[in-house]
Amino acid sequence: MSEVILKNVCKIYDGGNKVVTDANFKVEDKEFVVLVGPSGCGKTTTLRMIAGLEEISSGEIFIDGKLVNNLPPKDRDIAMVFQNYALYPHMSVYENMAFGLKLKKVDKKEIDVRVKEAAKILSLEEYLNRKPKALSGGQRQRVAVGRAIVRKPKVFLFDEPLSNLDAKLRVQMRTEISKLHKQLGATMIYVTHDQTEAMTMGDRIVIMKDGIVNQVDTPLNLYNKPVNQFVAGFIGSPAMNFLSGTISEKSDLTFTSDKSELTFNFSSEQKSYLKEYIGQEVVIGIRPEDLSIEKTNIKSIEQECVLDVIEPMGNETFIYFEIEKVQFIARVKPLGDIKVGGKIKLYIDPEKIYLFDKKTGNHLFKNS
Amino acid sequence: MIKKYLLYAFLSVTSVITLIPFIWMLGASFMFDGKASVFPPIFLPDPFTFTQYQILFERLNVWRNFFNSLILSSMVTVLYITFTSMAGYAFAKYRFRGKKFLFNLLLSSMIIPSQVTMLPLFLLLKSMGFINTYMAIIIPGLANIFGIFLIRQYCISIPDSLIEAARMDGATDFQIYRKVILPLAVPILVTLAIFSFLGTWNDFLWPLIALTDDSMYTLPVALANLMLEHTKDPELMMAGSVVTVIPVIIVFLALQKYYIKGIMMGSVKE
Ligand SMILES: Nc1ncnc2c1ncn2[C@@H]1O[C@H](COP(=O)(O)OP(=O)(O)O)[C@@H](O)[C@H]1O
Ligand SMILES: [Mg+2]
Repeated sequence: MSEVILKNVCKIYDGGNKVVTDANFKVEDKEFVVLVGPSGCGKTTTLRMIAGLEEISSGEIFIDGKLVNNLPPKDRDIAMVFQNYALYPHMSVYENMAFGLKLKKVDKKEIDVRVKEAAKILSLEEYLNRKPKALSGGQRQRVAVGRAIVRKPKVFLFDEPLSNLDAKLRVQMRTEISKLHKQLGATMIYVTHDQTEAMTMGDRIVIMKDGIVNQVDTPLNLYNKPVNQFVAGFIGSPAMNFLSGTISEKSDLTFTSDKSELTFNFSSEQKSYLKEYIGQEVVIGIRPEDLSIEKTNIKSIEQECVLDVIEPMGNETFIYFEIEKVQFIARVKPLGDIKVGGKIKLYIDPEKIYLFDKKTGNHLFKNS
Repeated sequence: MIKKYLLYAFLSVTSVITLIPFIWMLGASFMFDGKASVFPPIFLPDPFTFTQYQILFERLNVWRNFFNSLILSSMVTVLYITFTSMAGYAFAKYRFRGKKFLFNLLLSSMIIPSQVTMLPLFLLLKSMGFINTYMAIIIPGLANIFGIFLIRQYCISIPDSLIEAARMDGATDFQIYRKVILPLAVPILVTLAIFSFLGTWNDFLWPLIALTDDSMYTLPVALANLMLEHTKDPELMMAGSVVTVIPVIIVFLALQKYYIKGIMMGSVKE
């Protein structure tokens, strides 16, 4: 059992700069948890506190049931893969991987077995005698992972390990790390700013913004039930479209955008929890994939728009247009021969519209 | 292209000019008394003789002085490298109270000429009872801000994540210094080792002051003493100079490869 628990963890840097506020989450044994958020939101700091490289200003961190606040990194039984690989330049690949074990005075034969095993898993066998300088980016990345594997730690920490690789290699390494996770059956905490990486790799995802954990959930739940506008906008690519307006009760419960370009009536289910928002300002969110060029639902709202940009991807097309000067993206089936500047009818299923409180940004859920 | 040839021509001429006195020294050391003091100077000994070296080894306890120089230069170098590298690394990578102040204080001490501190240093060592012992040379040579500064600058360029990776790998502070920092700093360490070894080997004034006994003299001091007795004997002097300078050249040639790397560090991205 090697779970990691953060309880009210805060980090205040010397200048009085509070970069992590009350982080609370639990990483289960053998779970792959991704910490995601925009650059500067405190992901690295959080990871470094778990690693023991950064002091915890307040709160508690438990690894495997043990309070580790005051334990140095080497006594926490964790391994970390750094963003810039941090390989020892003067050591061969073999020595790089063996270094930690040698320091622990592990038997030479045992070291050899473990290093060779890791090299096999990572296809590094041919390169064991090379210096890091003579390796490609992807190989260096593998060595960095290998250095973590050989130690058989309770928890693996990754800090944006793929951000220095080119796009193709990144996708490849992504699946390799996921495979590795299953193969080793280890607990892993993975930091990234890339929501695609988070969605594809994580069993669960911790979304942070400005040092605050916004939501901890599975990828699908984050996508379907984001707690607030930030999470909704962060998860999903292309990002969700937002438009502000008010809820009013005329003949029916109605949403009217600020300049009245978009209006629609709510479904009966939505009405049940929107009553209290009558007269209030809200923001609606529409995912690009929920905009369609075909009418699939009789209740769908029809909206005519002028195409600003068309991005054909082959199997699908991204189209850009404006509603009330707010840029919208739709992800639709390949279009016929419509050109930029042309008009097109789009359909929005009102049941797929997300609603957020304009002031707090909170998602207006059924039961809240 | 032409620029390059001009540069090489210039460098060749200047190096020959620098080498002339050196070659003359070598030649003169193998001449009989009085043969070297002629104008224009002659470079090839005719006839060739080892007399001067014989006299040198009779008059002076050359082996003893050579040994003193060697021991002192080696010990100072080893200790100097140890202390300055630790201090430089600490100034580069550790966070502690008063670090900036301490470093600036040390830096500002560079403006004090060494002659000014000689007397207080002498009195200090005297009160410690170290005058006329090896310690009188070793203690002042343990560290200086010049070396600390160079090593600090070098260590700053080592990424923090390397140190942190080693820490995660379970290395203690000393192990990080010993197994990660030192191997990476080899070029700068060798450069400083050469400075330190040559500096101690060639130093004249301080050993003259701090060592009072013939048997404790380093080569340059012993040679200078000889010079006082034999001012009119340049051939003997030159033989002494050759004996003094040869070990230094050997050390330099042996470490030259690293030394040049050290000077060029940072100019080439690895
Ligand atoms: N050593 C430090 N001292 C002061 N502020 C820091 C330090 N390290 C990071 N920060 C600040 O903390 C915030 C979070 O940084 P970081 O955890 O690296 O973000 P992320 O990894 O999510 O991009 C940033 O605003 C950064 O400027
Ligand atoms: Mg970061």
